[in-house]
Amino acid sequence: MDSIIKRIEAEIAAHTPIKDQEETGIVRATGDGIAEIDGLERAVMTEMVMFDPTFDRTLEDALKDSNVVYGLILNLEEDGVRASILGDSSKVYEGMLVRRLGRLLSIPVGEKLIGRVVNPLGAPVDGKGPVAGTVERPIESQAYGVIDRSPVNTPIHTGIKAIDAMTPIGRGQRQLIIGDRGTGKTTIAIDTILNQISEDPSTRPICVYVAIGQKESKTARIVADLAEKGAMEYTIVVTAPASSPAAFQFLAPFAGVSIAEHFMEQGKDCLVIYDDLSKQAVAYRQMSLLLRRPPGREAYPGDIFYLHSRLLERSAKLSKEKGGGSITALPIIETQENDISAYIPTNVISITDGQIFLESDLFNKGLRPAINVGVSVSRVGSAAQTKAMKKVSGKIKLELAQFRELEAFMQFASDLDENTKRQIDSGRRLTETLKQPNGKPLAFEMATAVIYAATNGFFDTFPPEETAKAEARLQDFLTRDAQAELKAIRDSRDLSDETVEALRAKLTQFVERS
Amino acid sequence: MEKAYAQALTNVLAKGSSEDEVVSSLIKHLKQAGRMKLLPAILRELVVLKARTTTLGATVEVATEAGKADALKEAKEAGIEASSAVVNPSLVSGWRAREGGRLIDRTGKRALIDIYRRITS
Repeated sequence: MDSIIKRIEAEIAAHTPIKDQEETGIVRATGDGIAEIDGLERAVMTEMVMFDPTFDRTLEDALKDSNVVYGLILNLEEDGVRASILGDSSKVYEGMLVRRLGRLLSIPVGEKLIGRVVNPLGAPVDGKGPVAGTVERPIESQAYGVIDRSPVNTPIHTGIKAIDAMTPIGRGQRQLIIGDRGTGKTTIAIDTILNQISEDPSTRPICVYVAIGQKESKTARIVADLAEKGAMEYTIVVTAPASSPAAFQFLAPFAGVSIAEHFMEQGKDCLVIYDDLSKQAVAYRQMSLLLRRPPGREAYPGDIFYLHSRLLERSAKLSKEKGGGSITALPIIETQENDISAYIPTNVISITDGQIFLESDLFNKGLRPAINVGVSVSRVGSAAQTKAMKKVSGKIKLELAQFRELEAFMQFASDLDENTKRQIDSGRRLTETLKQPNGKPLAFEMATAVIYAATNGFFDTFPPEETAKAEARLQDFLTRDAQAELKAIRDSRDLSDETVEALRAKLTQFVERS
Repeated sequence: MEKAYAQALTNVLAKGSSEDEVVSSLIKHLKQAGRMKLLPAILRELVVLKARTTTLGATVEVATEAGKADALKEAKEAGIEASSAVVNPSLVSGWRAREGGRLIDRTGKRALIDIYRRITS
């Protein structure tokens, strides 16, 4: 009791009015999460305002519920402003006092956020109490310019063989994951986070998973999964669930990248996953229509491209002078009926440095991850691919493309020559090798060894349909008997002649034993 | 268009023109221009403008009757001039004045709420 009394006394003694004069406005009308405000003549775009419920209440009532609701100014008009309400819009009423806060929308960022689940305003939603020791950072900021950047040259391993081999991702790259619902987009993103556990802690990227418009149960499952596998030790989750206001869903990706930028500026690597930007676009469309901005194609506002480009441009690989940190972005886009030529998919495809296209047909055939190799591409990742992976995966894309052609031919050709049959079998084995169960990312050195075995005929003694079993046995064998070879690949990130020699010997031994 | 008409009417009236003259001139003009349909919309805009002027007009509130004169004087010194002050006991002590988008809040209620928020946050 004494300490409380002392604290209150100290607060009263130290109290000085926040400001003698404030700029305020009055809510003229409100509805659908948008407030029209009179006054606030000097307000600026994306400035925060506070809807103050205490102004016209008695002290007793005000203290019972003194929680304020914040708003974000998004329209400056001739006779007032329009603001998006960031919170419970039912608490905002006509005639309510609105105070300017004089600062742009900011969120708390810092090391203490790691392992936490926060909303787009940085408030924790995981029930673990407030986050201390953070600094404020504006949600919107200018992307780094050309001078401050360096080319993408370091890989980020997803642990998914098909991606690391054929569409490699570099640190600082923006790689789109696109596909219909239920094709495994989130799985790829989560596996990539899980795989970072095998990275050395000094180079391990800090992961930020931004859930936009997702079911809360799905986000809870993902968080539990990450926590169970130890990945929350380097992960921050920003969530704006489907039940949250459209403004939260619009802001969530910007909050995620602001958190990551803080670490990037300290020279650290970050991985940000936006799951998904189609829902953000829909939320932004809703807000824009309610703000009476003119609708364009598919009723999206005219600046929908800029919404995504300014977000994804903030992913960067900084120059050494700037600390050398990076933000790798894995935006996710959901397509309808595999249509990648729709408005938002084409926009984001043109902004990003490549895409991983997941197809529902392949998924239904049991090919998982259901990557369409023909349409998937990485424009800058090959520069960052490790030498070892580059050496073993060079031929894969071509072989798979030839196999797909032959497979189509096989549908109507009855007699096939031995060479064609061999090529088809080899393609089948390769396809089987690239299959991978979810939640089981593969360490880079193991993936390299497996792909080496697949592309050099070490699975040829097994029937194509048993390749997956053979691969599982091979992984066990290598873990048990080829630690030295795997370590050599891991340390050197290359396949030297000696390592190849030793690996071949081990693989031959495996084939003989099987 | 109706906003512009309403704004123009307000400006003309603020300069001291006679209300009857302004209204008859407006109707004559609208008839000549074939825009009589705009009249209800102009009326709506005028109502909005009036409401805005009232809500954003100069007001001074004081906690007690005794503080009225001082509050009006202090508010005037701070740049807000109101003809009278309204007693609002919920302010606890002091006064507050508002005009346009400007608010000067020197009430005990505000100070107490600030302290409460700081302690409980």
